[in-house]
Amino acid sequence: MATALDAALGGGPLMAAVAAVVSIGRPAWPTRIARVALVLAALTVLGWLMVLPLLAIFAEALRHGLAFYLQAIREPDTLAAVRLTLTVAAIAVPLNMVFGVAAAWSMAHFEFRGKTWLGALIDLPFSISPVVCGMVLILVYGKDGWLGSWLEAQGLQVIFAMPGLVLATVLVTLPYVARELIPLMQAQGSDQEEAALTLGASGWQIFFRVTLPRVRWALLYGVLLCNARAMGEFGAVYVVSGHLRGLTNTLPLQVDQLSQENFSAAFAVASLLALLTVLTLGIKRLVEWRHGGELRANT
Amino acid sequence: MVANCAPTPKDYRNMGIEISRLRRQFGTFVALDDVSLSIGDGEFVAVLGPSGSGKTSLLRILAGLDQPDSGSVFRDGQNLLALDARRRGVGLVFQHYALFPHMTVAQNVAFGLRVRPWRLRPKAQMIKTAVEELLCKVELEGLAGRYPSQLSGGQRQRVALARALAIEPRLLLLDEPFGALDAQVRVTLRGWLREFHRSLGITSLFVTHDQDEALEMADRVVVMNRGRIEQVGTPEQVYRQPATPFVSRFIARGQSLPGEVRGQHLHLFGHAWRIENPAVVDAHEVAVHVRPEDIVPAVTPGDGLKAQLLSLRHVAGSVRASLRVENWDQPLEAHWSERDWARYSGATDDGLGIHLQAVTVFAADREGRVHMRSTVHPPSASAPVAVGPWRRIEA
Repeated sequence: MATALDAALGGGPLMAAVAAVVSIGRPAWPTRIARVALVLAALTVLGWLMVLPLLAIFAEALRHGLAFYLQAIREPDTLAAVRLTLTVAAIAVPLNMVFGVAAAWSMAHFEFRGKTWLGALIDLPFSISPVVCGMVLILVYGKDGWLGSWLEAQGLQVIFAMPGLVLATVLVTLPYVARELIPLMQAQGSDQEEAALTLGASGWQIFFRVTLPRVRWALLYGVLLCNARAMGEFGAVYVVSGHLRGLTNTLPLQVDQLSQENFSAAFAVASLLALLTVLTLGIKRLVEWRHGGELRANT
Repeated sequence: MVANCAPTPKDYRNMGIEISRLRRQFGTFVALDDVSLSIGDGEFVAVLGPSGSGKTSLLRILAGLDQPDSGSVFRDGQNLLALDARRRGVGLVFQHYALFPHMTVAQNVAFGLRVRPWRLRPKAQMIKTAVEELLCKVELEGLAGRYPSQLSGGQRQRVALARALAIEPRLLLLDEPFGALDAQVRVTLRGWLREFHRSLGITSLFVTHDQDEALEMADRVVVMNRGRIEQVGTPEQVYRQPATPFVSRFIARGQSLPGEVRGQHLHLFGHAWRIENPAVVDAHEVAVHVRPEDIVPAVTPGDGLKAQLLSLRHVAGSVRASLRVENWDQPLEAHWSERDWARYSGATDDGLGIHLQAVTVFAADREGRVHMRSTVHPPSASAPVAVGPWRRIEA
């Protein structure tokens, strides 16, 4: 049957694979070959593009021995970069969590003019180049920017300082939590919230006892993604940071600078960053594995 | 059928509800158009209408989930619309139950008590007792520790009911209470809920699009169409004396006939019957309806209107026939009991004779409002002539 369909569709391995999807029983051997070939192709691409480079980072980082590795990491500037990265993420991620929940709540429970626009606006950082995001921030908050001179008069420096780094990170990671929650909360509707309201619950009680428990795993998932992106962000942060070593260099920027001087040290620091990301991914997989059902919108 | 639970006397303090001139509009769609209604203490009222008739809008406004554009709702002299949904003391049971999936049955039922402000919150032990009592009332004693996903539809429905009753509401609202259940469970639960309401005596209003459900359960039925109340009455009234052609069609399955009023007479299928009611005579527009059970086969062959039998279905004790009457291209539906049909044997391949036992004439004025209703019993049925609007005069 599969071969008949294969012939009908014009043959070829791809068509054979398509036919394999619809075939019942034991597929004919060209179909089986196509199936194996497709899987191998996917694995090869992933291996060359993802696994190999990741392994290379750790191999390169440890090439001069563990002592060199630890020394590279213990460098004061690097430690400062780690601290800064964690601080920026620690501010940006909770901000985006609050924003994401608020945005998802209003998208799911309220009808208002411009709702579709809000949805599109939330997605904007996905499609805009991070460099542009950084440039925009300089335009608004920079020394000659629209708000920059006023802010400077108040004694607050945004660009080339921590507030700028936080702003850039928040901007770039804006959609992660909201995008995870919006479809889920929209699919769940408002019935349970309304039921809670008629039973006498206050707004906060409804949120903490009814809404949050139902979206907690999606929220965690969104926060993890947001965190991974926040720690790894390069483009927007690059523009607003000013690259002051030990002051405004986050980990990715530190890697970038080191790579122009000391290749091995750069890899050591890069491996730290990769480790953070792998850790996040691990937790994410764990969440998916344990609570996959709840992440899909049909619960 | 309601279980014997440890009876703690509950004061449900039932009050009358006075709804007047409610109006609600969504864009250009008028959901409620000048709706007024009184609900008495402890009454069980059904709001019946097709989808989009405004019945759910009415329910949501009573629950405080929506505000009307104009109009008022008073409960025993107190303005209900000024109260926030939280403080209304209105229990609402959703069509799809809206149970909290992450809480057990007991936690769901206790929710309304647990979220009370600290000073009004009962002690944990009291909440536990109250929950046990409620679960006993809805006959779910053994299921306190289950999660909603582990229950059947009928059980979920009763959990939702217990949860709504936990706050000791003064008004209970049920939105399509059996809408998501299968037919068997639906019929069982109908009787159960009717009994349950009797035992509680709490003022209740339920919304449904199912005529049988409304007529079987409610003390009074409110028939709605396009945001307006067409008729309010007991199940018997809305069936026997439909106020409008819509109610006649919707409740009594009234079917249009090509009748005309000329002078003092109703002309129908080549016959003319005298109408006693002068208001009908002056009408701008007239609708003539006949109910399926008022079309009866003529006993004497050759008698009555000639009709063709299109199809015949035997449905559990009743016979449903589709007929085509001479000179009228719309098929008519007729319902007879199996016994009557067995007694009658005049049907041949050529057709059969039928009598119309009663036809109802609705007379509408220029604005389309029905101002007079009259039931005419054609003389062949040898019945008294009834003249509307809402009382019978023996002729």
